[in-house]
Amino acid sequence: MITRPSLQKLALPLALLAVGGFFAWQEPAYFGSRNLTQLIVEFSMTGTLALGMFMILLTGQIDLSVGSGVGLIGGVAAVLVFQHDWPAPAALLAAFAAALVLWTAMGTLIVRQRIPSFIITLGGLLIFKGLFWLVIQNSTIPVARGDRDNLYSLLTTYYVPPAVGLALGAVLIAGLGLMLGRARSHRRAHGLPVSKSVWAAGRFVLVAGVVLFAIVRLNAFRGVPLSLLILGGTAAVVYFLTQHTPFGRYLYAIGGNEEAAALSGIAVSRVLIGAYVLMGVAVALTGFMTTAYSGASTTTVGDLMELDAIAACVIGGTALRGGRGSVGGVLLGALIMTALLNGMTLLAVSPEIKFIARGVVLTLAVWMDVSFGRARN
Amino acid sequence: MTPLLEARQLTKRFPGVMALREVNFTLAAGEIHALCGENGAGKSTLIKLLSGIHPHGSYEGELRVDGAVAEFHGIRDAGRAGIAVITQELALVDELSIAENIFLGRPPRRGLRVDWLEMHRRAAELLADFGLNLPPEMPVGRLGIGHKQLIEIVRALDKRSRVLVLDEPSAALTESEVAALTGHLERLRRQGTAIIYISHRLDEVFALADRITVLRDGASIVTLKREEATIPLVIRHMVGRELGDLFPRRRTEASAAAALESAPAPLLAVRDLAVAASAGEAPRLRGISFEVRAGEVLGFGGLMGAGRTELLMHLFGAWGHRASGEVELRGQPYPRPNPGESIRRGLVLASEDRRRFGLILDQSIGFNLSLSSLGRFVRHGRIDQAAEFVGNRALFESLRVKASGQEVRVSGLSGGNQQKVVLGKALQTAPAVVLLDEPTRGIDVGAKLEVYELINRLTEEGKAVILVSSELPELMGVSDRIIMLCEGRIGGTFERDEFNQERLLAAAMGRAAVSAA
Repeated sequence: MITRPSLQKLALPLALLAVGGFFAWQEPAYFGSRNLTQLIVEFSMTGTLALGMFMILLTGQIDLSVGSGVGLIGGVAAVLVFQHDWPAPAALLAAFAAALVLWTAMGTLIVRQRIPSFIITLGGLLIFKGLFWLVIQNSTIPVARGDRDNLYSLLTTYYVPPAVGLALGAVLIAGLGLMLGRARSHRRAHGLPVSKSVWAAGRFVLVAGVVLFAIVRLNAFRGVPLSLLILGGTAAVVYFLTQHTPFGRYLYAIGGNEEAAALSGIAVSRVLIGAYVLMGVAVALTGFMTTAYSGASTTTVGDLMELDAIAACVIGGTALRGGRGSVGGVLLGALIMTALLNGMTLLAVSPEIKFIARGVVLTLAVWMDVSFGRARN
Repeated sequence: MTPLLEARQLTKRFPGVMALREVNFTLAAGEIHALCGENGAGKSTLIKLLSGIHPHGSYEGELRVDGAVAEFHGIRDAGRAGIAVITQELALVDELSIAENIFLGRPPRRGLRVDWLEMHRRAAELLADFGLNLPPEMPVGRLGIGHKQLIEIVRALDKRSRVLVLDEPSAALTESEVAALTGHLERLRRQGTAIIYISHRLDEVFALADRITVLRDGASIVTLKREEATIPLVIRHMVGRELGDLFPRRRTEASAAAALESAPAPLLAVRDLAVAASAGEAPRLRGISFEVRAGEVLGFGGLMGAGRTELLMHLFGAWGHRASGEVELRGQPYPRPNPGESIRRGLVLASEDRRRFGLILDQSIGFNLSLSSLGRFVRHGRIDQAAEFVGNRALFESLRVKASGQEVRVSGLSGGNQQKVVLGKALQTAPAVVLLDEPTRGIDVGAKLEVYELINRLTEEGKAVILVSSELPELMGVSDRIIMLCEGRIGGTFERDEFNQERLLAAAMGRAAVSAA
């Protein structure tokens, strides 16, 4: 019976604290409101992509093509806006539809032809990269014409007014409190063990404090960025899907034991294709934000983001062999990954070292996943 | 005379449980000594001590070989002392040949090179010794499980093993393979090999063993000579309480009435079914016709490979390509089955291999129980988790799953309790026809009884049950009618008053015509 938070559950917040503490010590501007705002925007991008990847990994599959996809989908929208003078909403919608088509096709290929997702999406990585560079003609395509803002460019440059930001934070905290309280009373009503009130309350106050602190710091710069709301919306949808719908249960079941899932009457193919379609949605959202964040579509947009997304999931406790993981863990993993990359950029660490650091973190995370999986068996 | 192997006051503790408490056990040369006990009684732990998997120092008490205290620090130590363990998870490499497997890790050499001629010559000798007519070059992967087990025994004997430990060797064997194995074991006994034999099948134990030791809750309860033991006595020691009739099939008024009422319209009707593994291949099942009514238990028997599992899997929609024939489920034609559609129409399968096909081991009991029937709990697009919990709790309690709650992970449950979860998942779908493939394989006597009780309850509720079992006494005890399959065809159909082991077996071996004449 769990009455106290285990060390394992504390590991992620502690790791985040260690990363944050280290960079703040090296460079006090790390927690400055300007850098914090940047960090949050970057977190929104990595986090959104990681949430899509989370549902793929839950089923025991993988998607290596999403980094190239981010560049391609962002590039398609940019070309439509800048070269063909489409209104931004129409361009985003068209690119979004393209993402859905591509990921439905990939998912169908993986499921119906029984080709390992590793190979198909590795092919996707190269094909999308090539398409991307063809679409933007190896050049730099701005996301808006002239200085006029449009929906596309605003994705990462719009900030919610401070008062609205605070109100949203309050609603979030109140909603969270209500959910936790209801869950506890439900568990008690059914005679299930609940963690001690002290721990539950403490954890809630801590989360509320962090949220409020972040909003106040963000407001000191320009306010809560729109991209964070996109991430929040995505997280809410993914949480609902994975924890409260049959589709989500099936993701866990397929990752846990695909044969048993099929014999339990689950339409495995349809669920897997569904996971890839949702991955396409996450790729499109991330593609728009990432391209808007760099102001223009260039050949390097989206580079290696698939690895950051996978690392975020695995750091957050998602099992690579499928069947285990949580939305909260993925968000924390993405935050740790972003905090690390952002801190290294702030300290002007050379790209060579950044590559190595990313690789080390990914390797460590997977090693922990594997040894943890062994310990459970 | 000093016993070959002796355990004195063995006690083994795991965090929170005492797996063995002061177990005493002796084994003499030329003796077959059976270990009996329910799942979790401590049989596996005892074997692991004997074979060095739990090393010396991790337990209390003494292990003696030839009267001298033995300190095994690993499997290799036990192997050097002449103890070989053959478990259900076979340690053979499928891709290698029979000869290579027998001499795995110690091939005969000529200088630095492997002496292949010598290896094949000696392998052929060993196989012939054992009465096995198999070419030594054959890849082990092409052998059936029975032969594989014999290859492991051959390997163990060639290593000069004096003590052979067989853990559930017959679980995956057909009756004829069991008979062959029994013959080999008796020969080994005459040659002076000591054998520890573990089996859930008491009739086998009584046919083979010189002595029987019963374990319960980690303690050695009693050691009996075969002459002084009876099956009811052993069972009583195993469960610690009296058990009634071993196969309590009841045709109650309720189930009989249900059968009568549905007599003109069977729940499941199969006519002249032929099924191939995939389109274009020769059919593996041919000319299968039968009907099953509400309140009935239809048993399917047959030797391994007769097509029993394939038939159930096909009816459920998880195997094969229907070459011809018709299936009617609750009066409706059902030409292209798939598992999801079957469940919606009221046909459900509880598979024989629960770990592979039945359970999501990493998830909780509750997760597994409702997995096939989540649709019932969905309100406005989301799972009503309170309704789901209550629905699962009803099953959890009526099936008497032994766990602290439905949030416990399935992987930690015993075989019998895992089987209950598999059955619960099937029942949660509110089926009309329940297909049970070997529902009692590898589970203990107490859990078996509960499964039989459950079958009775299902028929009383007006459901139809199709049961596949390799154990003839069980099949005869539980079924109202038995169809024996033989190489993909019906070898014979028997009503309850015609049940007779020899006739059923003859039908399974394609000799129905002879025995009927």
